[in-house]
This record gives sequence, structure tokens and C-alpha cells, in this order.
Amino acid sequence: MLRESAIAYKYEIDLAAISDTSIPIGIPGGNLLLELVDVLHGVSDEALADIQSALIDRLGPEALVDAAAVFGNFQMMNRVAEGSGIPIPQQAIDRESDLVTKLGLLDLMKN
Amino acid sequence: MFDFAAAPVPVREDLKTAYTTMWAHFARPGAVYDGAERRAILDHARSCDDRTPDTANLVPDRIAALARTLYCDPAAVDQALVRDAADRHGEAAAVEVISLVSMLSAVDGAHRALDVELEPLPDPISGPPTGRISPGLERRRTHVPMPQGAIPSALDLVPSEAFAFQESFGPQYMTGQEMAYSDFERSPGLNRAQMELVSSRTSLLNQCFY
Repeated sequence: MLRESAIAYKYEIDLAAISDTSIPIGIPGGNLLLELVDVLHGVSDEALADIQSALIDRLGPEALVDAAAVFGNFQMMNRVAEGSGIPIPQQAIDRESDLVTKLGLLDLMKN
Repeated sequence: MFDFAAAPVPVREDLKTAYTTMWAHFARPGAVYDGAERRAILDHARSCDDRTPDTANLVPDRIAALARTLYCDPAAVDQALVRDAADRHGEAAAVEVISLVSMLSAVDGAHRALDVELEPLPDPISGPPTGRISPGLERRRTHVPMPQGAIPSALDLVPSEAFAFQESFGPQYMTGQEMAYSDFERSPGLNRAQMELVSSRTSLLNQCFY
């Protein structure tokens, strides 16, 4: 879905940035959004307040609220997926095979 | 409740309403568990530091283990953990726990992102469990029974949980109608590509393929 929405906005994105956030993603404020998620997951040492300020300066105060809400929503969706064991359709895996390989997603299909 | 007075930015009213609605849902008796038991399940979920909640005696061990693992370490949740709970306490019990803990993770996650204190859990509303469970659903390569379809239907075994879960999508992310538009955007706010970026990185760090 990220790929389709990036096309809709005519962004030239590098999806490898999702797994390697040192790569510019090509979406306005995108690397700040990635940094916010990393801070919340404890994989970045940046101060949360600094990332919040940078996001507000770059994208506006409403963007921080939206990012928090989406982050929360996917904390929920990921847990429903893990808890229910809902399978990934093989056709979806085949359709996104390049992305699956690039991001190492096959390793996540453990259950 | 949910005034977000300490947040660095004003929070949308529809998001506050969504969280308030979830809290009211948590407080009510569910299909399997009454309000006090649901509160105890949520207490267990939040006890990632291994403290024993005051309400520990209300929750069987397997249910507590599912709640805590799902909230604190979702990548560690596997079929064995879910089936341990479901085989002992029933399919609907497992689905109710998955629902409660997942929705709690949404609200708490947003609070952490806004760097505000977590909202205290709601006081339970008295009354017996409703017993309302959808008939005829089966497991199909899944941990719990569900219809064929995408993730919004994953909790359909317990209709009240499925409804609360599905109702929360719009304010937090997008409604079903909004999902049809690749160029959806909140104005002012994030556009869909920016939202999908947050969701993609979050899922990757949660080690969730879906």
C-alpha cells in the first residue's frame, strides 16, 4: 500500500529505507517519521522531544497527532495479526516478492 | 479522561472520542469475561515489568500469559501460546483477550508517541458476561476461529469485540471508504504515503509480516 500511495503522490521512494533508515525514503518528512517509530521502539537513542519538535517544524502539529494515532493503530493491528494467526495470502507474497526479499520479510513468517 | 493536557500539540476530538469509546467498551461485561475480569486482563497486559497486579487472582495463568506476552512482546506470540489459552478456557476467551490487549496497545502506543502519561484503566461496570458468540466459525490455518477474509474480520467470533475493533480504524488510521483512495490525506496532517510509512516501520519492528 505504501508503494501505491507513493505513486499517487508522485514520490520517488526507496523502500529499502523501511529497513535501513539511513537511506532517504523520498517522502516529505519521511525519515523523521521513521525516526519517531524507532525512538518509540527503543532502537534509536534520539530524544523523543527532539523528534517531536522536528516533526512539528517540518510537517505541522497535526502531523504529530496523526503519526501517534497510526503508530497506535498498528500496535493494535500487529497484535491482532499475531494473536489470531491470520495467514498471509500466497498471492500477496508473490505480488510483493521483490519487497519481501528486499526487507527480509520471509524471516518474519514464523507462525 | 483523555484530555491530553500534557501533550505537546492539540489532539483531534475524533481521536479522543475513539479512545473514550474503547475505554467504555473495556469497562462493560464482554462475551466471556465480566467487567472486573476484563480490567484484570488489562492490568496483566500492562505488567511488562513482571510485577503481579492486585487483580491477579481474577485471571487464570494461561490467559494472563497471553495478555502479557501479546502486549509486551508481540513477536513472541505463537500458536502454542494462543492454543494453550483457547484449549483451556475456550476460543471466545482467547479472542476476547486478543481484542482487549490489542486495543489497549493502540491507545497506550499513541500516548507514548505523544509523551503523555498512560490513561488509568476504567472502573468495571458490574453485570454478567453476555455469552454472545458467533456460531459456525472454524479455525483455518489460524490460531482462533474466524471467517475467511482480511484482518478486520479476525475477531468476528466475538461480535462486540469485532465491532469495537473495526470502529476504531477511522480516527486512528482510515475508514474503509477512505482506504479506497491511494491519495487520501488528512488536511492538515499526514497524507496516506506518510501514514503507510509509519505503519510499515512499526510492523517491521514488531516483526509482524502482516
